[in-house]
Amino acid sequence: MLNLVREVQVGLLAVLLLSGSAAKLWSASGAGSPGHGTGPTAMFPVRLRRPAATALCAAEFALGTGLLLTAGSAGAGGPAVIVRAATFVLFCTAVGALHELRGHRPDAGCGCFGELSRTPVSWRAITRAALLCVAALAAIGAPPVSMPRSTGQAWLTLAVAGAELALLAVLSPEVGQLMIRLSHAEPCELREVPVDRTLSALRSSASWRRYREFLATDPADVWREGCWRFVVFPGVLASRQVEVVFAVYLAGRHGPVHVGVLDTGADLDGPWSVSSQDPLQLSTRV
Amino acid sequence: MDISASYQQATQTGSSAWHARRALLRATVFETGDREFRSHRPAVARSVATGVIAEVREDAIVLDGPGGTELFSVSPGTVTWMGALTMPSALRSGDQVIIRHRPLDAAVPVRRLAERIWARIGRVAGTIVAAKGREFLIDTGRADDAPQQVVVAAASARQVQVRFPRLAPGYLLDVIGTRHGGQLLAVVPATAQPPYRAGHAPPPPMVNGPLPASISGTAVWHEPEDEPPGLLGLGYPALDPEDGAQPADGGTGCVRLPYLSLGSTVRLRNECAGRSAVLPVTSDGALARQFCDRCVECGTSPKGRLADLTMTAFVELGGNLEDGCFNATMTLAG
Repeated sequence: MLNLVREVQVGLLAVLLLSGSAAKLWSASGAGSPGHGTGPTAMFPVRLRRPAATALCAAEFALGTGLLLTAGSAGAGGPAVIVRAATFVLFCTAVGALHELRGHRPDAGCGCFGELSRTPVSWRAITRAALLCVAALAAIGAPPVSMPRSTGQAWLTLAVAGAELALLAVLSPEVGQLMIRLSHAEPCELREVPVDRTLSALRSSASWRRYREFLATDPADVWREGCWRFVVFPGVLASRQVEVVFAVYLAGRHGPVHVGVLDTGADLDGPWSVSSQDPLQLSTRV
Repeated sequence: MDISASYQQATQTGSSAWHARRALLRATVFETGDREFRSHRPAVARSVATGVIAEVREDAIVLDGPGGTELFSVSPGTVTWMGALTMPSALRSGDQVIIRHRPLDAAVPVRRLAERIWARIGRVAGTIVAAKGREFLIDTGRADDAPQQVVVAAASARQVQVRFPRLAPGYLLDVIGTRHGGQLLAVVPATAQPPYRAGHAPPPPMVNGPLPASISGTAVWHEPEDEPPGLLGLGYPALDPEDGAQPADGGTGCVRLPYLSLGSTVRLRNECAGRSAVLPVTSDGALARQFCDRCVECGTSPKGRLADLTMTAFVELGGNLEDGCFNATMTLAG
């Protein structure tokens, strides 16, 4: 039983290390800066944050991969002990670093899983690091991981891994953040949408097909207001010079497209110059 | 069908009139029923005048402004700021001023009383690129890349140092003072220094569900660079990247704002003065994204700059320039 618990640690530690490394890499690609001011690297001088964060990410990846490669009988012995001992040292260092971070930068998150770990470091995060430290210590000297010899043993392995994962989830503020992220999409007002995609959506709409033969090829103006992007084409309708304004909704693939026509009249000074008429009278909703 | 050639002559792409016309074009599609959001005419300041002092009299000052020569009465209650509170008699011909006024007599709106006068006031906000004693060169993100020169007044050095403990290259500075040629003599810090270096503002919090119709934060002001004097408008921190806005140096700011374009309109309310106005987006508020600060003029505002107003718009909304900010609520056109 004890050996089974020790075997489980190897796989769990490897998965956590590789996940942490991938999350850091993902966050770094979004922020454009690996040392984005979270985690223990926030305590480093600014010029050292980036290399420190890169080194940490690389170390986690190397140890995670090393744990997997030495888990079986092929890597048993010296290599396995070295990798697991290094993992133990890493998590022990993490406990100390998180404790220091909590004292010096109480606003900073642990950065363990990149952007998901922005919650200020609490005793939960420190306890989790300590638990992983114990897990790494238990893994040192554990026998090579092998396939379960019976169904009962397989269930037992799953139960141990599940229980440990549940305990880690309780100690992980990142789980809450992940649930929030998965529970909704970013509002369309905040989404970056290329103009080309808007024009494609417009050109596949019925409103466009209705007016396209009267319009110039290229838009005269394009701008955005929240979830709507406006595209203006000059054109001629019933021998009158007009501007046709399309409003394209930016959420979804086939969002609604509204259209309006502004009669610019024969006078090319247009209604936007000082006019005795209320220019809104010239607009025609279609 | 040659419609483009003559059409293009009628309007100048990229001009402020071009952007202002967008409100009218928008109204052809959406009849929101809220006419104030779709006016294509430039907003006009009703209670603010800018210009250069032509003459200082005992009971009035004569201003040379964009609209010609104007006269404003002064009274013992007129508050005058020129690096510190002073008397209107301290003003001199040639001083650049901005005045908040009100009619002396409701029946005769031409006679106006100056309530507040700011003389030679200036503001520099940006990244410190060089520091030597009390002298600094600041990168304000100007189009010409020319750094601004700031000298902190000796009497204000301690006050500035307390609010800006890291006066070193790479950190942010935001100070208010008086203009002396191309140099700003800083006398008051406009905010507290962010703890991070320029370009490292924390990412904004996640938005759960749809954006609220009204967003609260802080509103600040900036000196006109290429903008006409007296312009009512704002620099918006979340211009659509597809508009060719400056790269998001320093992230998207610490408040989640919907993407807008030049010419879009927003309603901004000064929570401290209880005044509000619909203003057009007239510039890129890239610098506002860098500052993740709060305003404490009347209570503590949520973090983040919503708008970087023109001086005229800031004063029109009841803000006092020497304070640097007011607590603001922004509502978007519906």
